[in-house]
Amino acid sequence: MNAFKRDKKEEEDGGGNPFQNLEKTTVLQEARTFNDTPVNPRKCAHILTKILYLLNQGEQLGTMEATEAFFAMTKLFQSRDVVLRRLVYLGIKELSSLAEDVIIVTSSLTKDMTGKEDLYRAAAIRALCTITDGGMLAAIERYMKQAIVDRSPAVSSAALVSSLHLTNVSGDVARRWANEAQEALNSNNVMVQYHALGVLYQARKADKHAVIKLVAKLMRTSPKSPYAACMLIRMACKLLDEVDKGEELLGFIESCLRHKSEMVVYEAAHALINLGRSCTKEITPAISVLQLFCGSQKPALRFAAVRTLNKVAMSHPTAVTACNLDLENLITDSNRSIATLAITTLLKTGAESSVDRLMKQIATFVSEISDEFKVVVVQAIRALCQKYPRKHAVLMNFLSAMLRDEGGLEYKAAIADTIIAVMEVNAEAKEAGLAHLCEFIEDCEHNSLAVRILHLLGQEGPTSKQPSRYIRFIYNRVILESASVRAAAVTALARFAAACPPLLPNVLVLLSRCQLDSDDEVRDRAAYYCAILQQQNEPTILPLVQPPLLSVPSLERALRNYMQTPMDEPFDISQIPPAQTVEEPTQVEVHTTVKQQPRLTREESFMEKLSQIPHLTMIIRDSSLLKSSPVFELTESETEYNVKCIKHMFTEFLILQFDCVNTLSDQLLEDVRVAVEPPEGYTILCEVPCPRLPYNELGTTYTVLRYPEDVHASVATIPTTLRFMARDCDPATGVPDADQGYNDEYMLEDLEITLADQVRGIGNRGVDFNAAWEAAGAKGFSKLEETFALGSSVTSLEGAIQSLTGFLGLDAAERTNRVQSGAAAHNLLLSGIFRGGKEVLARARLALSDNQVTMQLTVLCQDPDVAELIISSVG
Amino acid sequence: MGLFDRLANLLGLKKKEVNVLVVGLNNSGKSTVINNFKREDDRCIDIVPTVGYNVEKFSFKNVNFTAFDMSGHDRHRPLWEHYYKDCHGIIFIIDSSDKLRLVVVKEELDMLLQHPDIAGRKIPILFLANKMDLPDSLTTVKLVAGLGLDRIQNKPWHIRATNAITGEGLQLGIEWLTDQIRDIYINKR
Repeated sequence: MNAFKRDKKEEEDGGGNPFQNLEKTTVLQEARTFNDTPVNPRKCAHILTKILYLLNQGEQLGTMEATEAFFAMTKLFQSRDVVLRRLVYLGIKELSSLAEDVIIVTSSLTKDMTGKEDLYRAAAIRALCTITDGGMLAAIERYMKQAIVDRSPAVSSAALVSSLHLTNVSGDVARRWANEAQEALNSNNVMVQYHALGVLYQARKADKHAVIKLVAKLMRTSPKSPYAACMLIRMACKLLDEVDKGEELLGFIESCLRHKSEMVVYEAAHALINLGRSCTKEITPAISVLQLFCGSQKPALRFAAVRTLNKVAMSHPTAVTACNLDLENLITDSNRSIATLAITTLLKTGAESSVDRLMKQIATFVSEISDEFKVVVVQAIRALCQKYPRKHAVLMNFLSAMLRDEGGLEYKAAIADTIIAVMEVNAEAKEAGLAHLCEFIEDCEHNSLAVRILHLLGQEGPTSKQPSRYIRFIYNRVILESASVRAAAVTALARFAAACPPLLPNVLVLLSRCQLDSDDEVRDRAAYYCAILQQQNEPTILPLVQPPLLSVPSLERALRNYMQTPMDEPFDISQIPPAQTVEEPTQVEVHTTVKQQPRLTREESFMEKLSQIPHLTMIIRDSSLLKSSPVFELTESETEYNVKCIKHMFTEFLILQFDCVNTLSDQLLEDVRVAVEPPEGYTILCEVPCPRLPYNELGTTYTVLRYPEDVHASVATIPTTLRFMARDCDPATGVPDADQGYNDEYMLEDLEITLADQVRGIGNRGVDFNAAWEAAGAKGFSKLEETFALGSSVTSLEGAIQSLTGFLGLDAAERTNRVQSGAAAHNLLLSGIFRGGKEVLARARLALSDNQVTMQLTVLCQDPDVAELIISSVG
Repeated sequence: MGLFDRLANLLGLKKKEVNVLVVGLNNSGKSTVINNFKREDDRCIDIVPTVGYNVEKFSFKNVNFTAFDMSGHDRHRPLWEHYYKDCHGIIFIIDSSDKLRLVVVKEELDMLLQHPDIAGRKIPILFLANKMDLPDSLTTVKLVAGLGLDRIQNKPWHIRATNAITGEGLQLGIEWLTDQIRDIYINKR
């Protein structure tokens, strides 16, 4: 009865899929029919189709199952039915990677590919190449060479493409068959010519000069096949990127703009535009070609042209301006994809005055285009907001309208991202943006997005003009939404209370209501915030309401260590490194909203690695890693031995990690270590040599140094030498000769330990710098102040900020690393932690006059020596 | 099946379809033997070592043969067993001039005879002592002794000296096989 119902339903759906309810085991059972004599072609073809269908639906076959099905299928070679045979070829291709002993059909396939039946030949070649392994290649080589130069274009093409696939099996196939491919290149068939060129390129790929010769030769005769011409253009482009002078190549690509095939013309234009070094003069002819395409009858051409123009508008907006008129015509194109791209291109190139008109135009059909293109529109708007900050009102309105429309998470997230980005760069837009976002979360079906916006409201809301108006929006979430959103809303509420004392009593009432929530997390949060907020009412409680994001594994380790101590002194949370924040991709065009897994920070993964080394575990057990420096190369990259160093900073000592690579194939190094001469005050605690360093493998040795008592001496330069026992060995096998090796050494570059190595920045948004600054004075931090004139290499405020943060290792607080354009003076606020958990605050007043930057630097630190060190290292 | 087909079947006119398996060591002449069974115009001129297997068709005395010409290369010999199950006869070809590898032949033959798909069945085996024209080739008597063919109890077998290049002895061999298959499979039905 059920089956009947289903059948009926399928009928209503318009036939339905006859293979819908296939089951793997049943089909494989049916495959036994292949063994029957005589073969029933119709029945077998049907079963084979079912197997192919299952495989293409992603059904997994075990090796046993696949092999059994494969051998049953080989029996079908006895049938002379053309359809069945071609299905067998498909089956072979699908099963070739799953089944064992697939070479069994080699002879049958070679027979078919050399046989009289043309329908079999090309397909047999393709099937043959999937079952051939390195050992069998010699057996089929002769047939393949014959097939490449075959008269039939289908056979020749199949053989050429198959030989490209075979290069995965044996690298030099293309080279061995290059002569035949050369002959095929003269074929009259467009496809054969194209495929032959592909094989020839594959054969010469490794040898740049051979490619240049090939391209130069073909450039003169210009291949008849448009496909081959396109490929030639791509090869020429690749060469242009690699070689220095390429006037001839460039000339060829330009001449292709006048080719009679549109495909080639487009390819040439696309190539010219995408050349890394092309300037406006070079791309002008390409743009005019694209301009012509914009008026083409074919939608594909129009789409290609406008898409390329859209891309180039980012880098050369002026060049695209010439096409504005044609693009205007495309705005009303019946193909929405073309229209969208045209408008977004115009938004990039157009003047500020045309923005309003274009936005109105795009609003008429934005609901008709797919999410993917909506995201393109949103990105264009984002770029526009950065370009014309004054237009933010129009754009914000548009974005909020888009937010109200239907759309997927990705699309909504892109809009929210854009609004947030606009708010960040433009303080005027903040109020409006927050209002739009508030409205959006009133009716947002994506929990993740709602949580994000609530977090943002908690951060930005308290500093807005009228914080109280957001409270209602947030509290509405507590009543209406799911648990995770409610929890986020509670946290946001608490932030308002902590930052705006006038709101505290009201928020406390709301929070106490939240304590009756049905969800544990929401209740816990509400109870926690109520308790904190009731106890004290100072701005210093902000960090408690909004704890800095700490790296959880490090926190756990530190707490475990702390439990083992007598716990006399309070636990110092400032030792814990912050969690890695996932950097948003900076480029506007490629914007991904892919959720990244929370991962270990660099420091954490190093800590794991270091604690697995037996000699080091004892030393680092009770300490936490402050910071790992970037990789520092102690050798040139082309030398015999490559040594790279990473400095791991701990409170009392540092671990130098030397990653060594031996690039001499005839040497085996033993007992490798990097000898360091400890500078004054430093002492070597421990050395871990690398026992064996074979050719081209990475070996690591460690040296542990204790810091000097005097912090001033900690900034030092350390001479290093690579010491090892070298043994000659056979380059092929790597087995060392029997005789004893000899000691040798190799001079490396000096290693520097700088101030920045010992300081970790804490650039947290949530920290109120001014409050911390005031509090530091009260806590008895020592304060040093000095004025400097920065060197001639620094000519702008941005440059000064960059070099200062890089040099001191401190992070800018409160986003003071952004300078308003055109400003002549700037206040840079810096914060960080010196090793040993010593908090450092610094304020740099920068002034610019006549390309000369003057700086007044004030440093606050609990340790006067550290403050002095910072001041003196700038000088 | 149409009325005519059934009528023809009744009278024994309908051609019978049988599968035979052609095995033997590499370079014993399997493909050459099969090539000789084919019609004049279907034959190929140069025979190359078979990789995997080949399917060939030929007919003899109103019986349609589908011959699975297996590769004799040592790497591919384990693949023979995939085709044991549904064959009606076996042609085992021996290079009678290759005394050195006679032990290998014996080993392969024993493995074939002991295979579960073969052991219990009454399946005719035709041994062809190929390359009889070569000067130091073994006689069939010596081969029977050397391979212990006389110990095969439950299967009809027959040995014949052949020369696959000229075709000498092949007709008589296939005639025997055809008769056996007719007796065992076709007449029984």
